[in-house]
Amino acid sequence: MLFSGIPFLYYFLPCVLALYFSAPKKWKNAVLLVSSLVFYGWGEPGYIWLMLGSILCGYLSGLLIERFRGRAAAKGVLTGAAAVSLGLLGCFKYADFFIQNFNTVTGLSVPMLKVALPIGISFYTFQILSYVIDVYRGDVRAQRNFIHFAAYVALFPQLIAGPIVRYSDVASQLESRTHTLSGAAAGIRIFVLGLGKKVLIANVLGELCTAYAEAEERSVVFSWMYASAYALQIYFDFSGYSDMAIGLGRLFGFTFPENFRYPFLSGSITEFWRRWHISLGTWFRDYVYIPLGGSRVSPGRRLWNLLIVWMLTGLWHGAAWCFILWGLYFAVLLMLEKRFLLKHLERAKIFRHVYVLLAVLVSFVIFSEADTGLAAETLKGLFGFGGLPLISDTQCYYLRSFGLVLLTAAFGATPLPKRLAEKMQQTRTGAVLFSIAEPVVLGLLLLTSTAYLVDGSFNPFLYFRF
Amino acid sequence: MKDIYRNLAVICVMAALLAGLSLWSWLREPDAYSSGERRLLAQFPEWSVQSLADGRFMEDFEEYAADQFPLREQFRALKAFSSMKVFRQLDNDGLYEYGGHLSRMDTTLNEPMLEHAAERFQYLYDAYLSGGEMNLYFSIIPDKNNYLAEESGRLSLDYEQLVETMREKTGYMTYIDVSGLLEADDYYRTDTHWKQEKILDVAEALAGVMGAEAGGEYTVNELDIPFYGVYSGQAAWETEPDIIRYLTSAALDECIVTSYSTGAAQESVLYNREKAGGKDPYEFFLSGSEPLLTIENPLAETDRELILFRDSFGSSLAPLLVEGYAKITLVDIRYVQSSMLGSFIRFEDQDVLFLYSDTLLNNSLALR
Repeated sequence: MLFSGIPFLYYFLPCVLALYFSAPKKWKNAVLLVSSLVFYGWGEPGYIWLMLGSILCGYLSGLLIERFRGRAAAKGVLTGAAAVSLGLLGCFKYADFFIQNFNTVTGLSVPMLKVALPIGISFYTFQILSYVIDVYRGDVRAQRNFIHFAAYVALFPQLIAGPIVRYSDVASQLESRTHTLSGAAAGIRIFVLGLGKKVLIANVLGELCTAYAEAEERSVVFSWMYASAYALQIYFDFSGYSDMAIGLGRLFGFTFPENFRYPFLSGSITEFWRRWHISLGTWFRDYVYIPLGGSRVSPGRRLWNLLIVWMLTGLWHGAAWCFILWGLYFAVLLMLEKRFLLKHLERAKIFRHVYVLLAVLVSFVIFSEADTGLAAETLKGLFGFGGLPLISDTQCYYLRSFGLVLLTAAFGATPLPKRLAEKMQQTRTGAVLFSIAEPVVLGLLLLTSTAYLVDGSFNPFLYFRF
Repeated sequence: MKDIYRNLAVICVMAALLAGLSLWSWLREPDAYSSGERRLLAQFPEWSVQSLADGRFMEDFEEYAADQFPLREQFRALKAFSSMKVFRQLDNDGLYEYGGHLSRMDTTLNEPMLEHAAERFQYLYDAYLSGGEMNLYFSIIPDKNNYLAEESGRLSLDYEQLVETMREKTGYMTYIDVSGLLEADDYYRTDTHWKQEKILDVAEALAGVMGAEAGGEYTVNELDIPFYGVYSGQAAWETEPDIIRYLTSAALDECIVTSYSTGAAQESVLYNREKAGGKDPYEFFLSGSEPLLTIENPLAETDRELILFRDSFGSSLAPLLVEGYAKITLVDIRYVQSSMLGSFIRFEDQDVLFLYSDTLLNNSLALR
């Protein structure tokens, strides 16, 4: 089930809200768990048992690690739990990729497994892993209540596309949380804005990207339009989903971590990754980069650690070479920045933003193409190689038709709308006007998003495949 | 205003919208048909353990929920308004309005579809047309968008390329170019079809190349039923209806129309008022979708016959060709298997005209 779908908005969500708020406090997590299983089962009925098995494994591992704390057995359980989680992820997500490459290198024909990728497996696997590791490190206590633990992993707001919520972030809220008027209103605001970002901006930009993919003739301008549209699409798609997840979390009394903080404003790639998919970046930092030694190692080892982390980050996004290349591309940029570029960028106020935007656009071209050859074609187009014309009539049409959407998206990717809203509330009259306008605007946003959903058809989130 | 009131306002407005639309969705009687889109709407899917396990129920439910959402047409209108007026997009789902015309952009030349159409024509040629003394002709009707796109800055199909591709594949037929005889105003404003009263020159050109007579003393009549064409419903915004005008003459009044839609011969009419009041008023012409139909002209001064392989555009054009033929047989191979035609038609020395719109050729999967 998709957040941006009529069944979720007008069938599932109202039922869950009614059940949740009418249930006694001690039953609330059970209501959330059952709802989450229905939510997951709706889109992935065959794999619900896989998720429940992973949850059970994580739950028992946590208890066993705590029981054997201080003994070698605890490490054994941790290793076993990690092997099971990563083994399942590897089997369902990466097996065919490795078999295919193995066959290419050896010339053998090992048959592919051809198993469908379970929705959200990367997200819930990382949540379970972080929990087990945190219990082993003694950062959190093992959860004894299976319902609470299962509700944490399967919680539908963040189940299929994040953010990756650490157990430590919500451990106390799983036991006891308060539901306030301000929390509910904030949740609604964030959710509806996220819905608008996904439906009104990301999906529309997706049409432009499809037009580029299907175009018989391309041009330099069209390549740039595509690269910009794709970067903005994926930002609005993913951050929109994260906003909806965070908003729903607030409605149910949870505080999920922020996942995006205006990444396109960054002055370096290092900063970009502190603002983009924050929950994934911090996960790799805390559970891979730092355990590998982080920055407190020799320069050579440090570079090696960076390569490993970013190759894994790329691979996490998908089992394809373009994702690995994408990760390594960022690894190279981050290394260059750490070695010498950062200090120069700090002095170049405007150039550093141009550099980041350019680097990010190129990265998303690599990211967007399933085939590295296609990515190379688009990159050549961007920089005028390959004999493409500057522009053609067809592309003029797309520029005129999508120009305002692109501008709106670019404006929306900055903090300016938020600052304008804050500024408006600084005067007494402005505050009153804002209070009156806010529910109207939110209502219109919900209705307009509904209109797009009614008019359109199936529109899956891009991050589902991860 | 205190924060508490602000928060309350947000919660109340959103709760009212969500609860109101949800309850309305759940309790309303499902509609069977969308007249705007001219299609059956999805109904609540039947469920079974199997359909739940393999996800079919969920897929069907998604479709049902979107199809049966309350105020569906109004929501579609809101979406069109947002796309075209707020975000200033130049089309809404491929549809746009220019110079009072509604038109759809069909931009991609679909080679496999053209290949399929050519393969079907080749089959007809090999099976029925290659042996006798028949004269074979072919003409492709340009879509209205071809005339509007350049002027309005929209995109269109490469009509010349489509024609060239089809001509290459149908070298056994004489091609008749009618594109220069048409302009946007020769088509209905809200529909894809051409107007009968505006295509006399097309009929004359076709007849001229085929060596037949065309023209005559026609009277222009006006149908008193407003015609909301196919684009009118798709557009989801308010549009003025078209007027259907039709031509009559002494010869047309005497014509005998016979339909073979059930396999047996049934008397029919050139202009069907009953159909004009139905879902697609353009079916007024020759009763719309008919697999096999004949028009006999008792006043004809010739015994020549024409076999017209056609799509819906042929319905309004065929009556304009009766002056030159004693009998016209209209065949629509979307509704009859080509392999069955030998049982109904004697292919001897007739003229044969393949008359198809570029839109149909570019989406030819229905040709059988």
